Amino acid sequence: MSNALWIAVLASAAGTLLIRLLPLLWMQRRLARQASDGSLEAMPQWLSLLGPLMIAALFGVSLMPVTPDAVSWLATAIGVLATLAVWWYKRTLGWPVAAGVAAYGAVMMLLG
Amino acid sequence: MNLQAASSPSRAWLTGMSEAVPLLGGYVPVAISFGLIATQAGFSAWEAVAISTLIYAGASQFLFVGMVAAGAPLWLVVAMTLLINLRHVVYAPNLAPWLTPSRLWPWLMHGLTDQIFALAHARLPQLPAAQRLGWYTGAALLAWLSWIGGTALGALVGGELVARWALMGEILPFALPALFLVLVAPRFTSRRWSLALGLTILSALLLTLLGLTNVAIPLAAVCGALCFQLVKFSHTAERKDAQGERHE
Repeated sequence: MSNALWIAVLASAAGTLLIRLLPLLWMQRRLARQASDGSLEAMPQWLSLLGPLMIAALFGVSLMPVTPDAVSWLATAIGVLATLAVWWYKRTLGWPVAAGVAAYGAVMMLLG
Repeated sequence: MNLQAASSPSRAWLTGMSEAVPLLGGYVPVAISFGLIATQAGFSAWEAVAISTLIYAGASQFLFVGMVAAGAPLWLVVAMTLLINLRHVVYAPNLAPWLTPSRLWPWLMHGLTDQIFALAHARLPQLPAAQRLGWYTGAALLAWLSWIGGTALGALVGGELVARWALMGEILPFALPALFLVLVAPRFTSRRWSLALGLTILSALLLTLLGLTNVAIPLAAVCGALCFQLVKFSHTAERKDAQGERHE
């Protein structure tokens, strides 16, 4: 890689870190200020709304199969149902994911 | 991997790592693909690993090597990389109320990817304060190392792996939607939240189907937020929702 390309890598890395880091520092200062003022609403409502909605959006985006065809969509639907069913029963993190991947994989291997 | 708090600070590391294991199903195949594509685009194996170590942001790394290979101006490559990562702006403030006083937290934000945010947003509020730094460090470190290791594997033997384990490359990434589903399912606490979350999921999927993957996450979340603000079922439900927001 040329020096210019290394600078581009470092600039992208530093910029990405700042995108993740600066809002934390802003929020920590805001929380400290609100605590000293004794205010209740430290986090803006729009921000607390966006947290769960970003996770929902990540779920929506990740539903797209690697190779979208009828079988992979069917496998996705069955994988989602299996994940939900095991989550409903166990309320844990690992088992529902394992069940979902197993169900998805079973459909892909049987029909794919 | 029970949703119980870890019992000691040292165990918190291990708990964080074990709870991040489902991420590997999504991370490793994509990292292998990145390593393979980067070497095909003319980067050496260690340069691909350096990009994964330093930038550590999936979609933007693919864009980075693709634009460099296509001969795009480097300022545009950097600008587009940062534009794709801009959605991360809302992640850290959502975690801030649960972060304990430590000088390490700002540096640990390097590991705040989409997946680690989703996991931490669900788990940090459930953990005792003393466990949170260890838990987050364990989870973020495992995810980061798996991304770097996957890139190295892809750069060195990616072609052979893809040829031999093609089906595994399609099956393992389902761990990510399954994990996100488990993290989002407990949020369906009222009709108002269910509608907003459902709309967000559908619009994100639709935008992805239309090929707008990079804007799908922030745009779908904004759609869901607008829906949440505009739709009110009844006075009682509305008050219940407002109270629920403060506790979540």
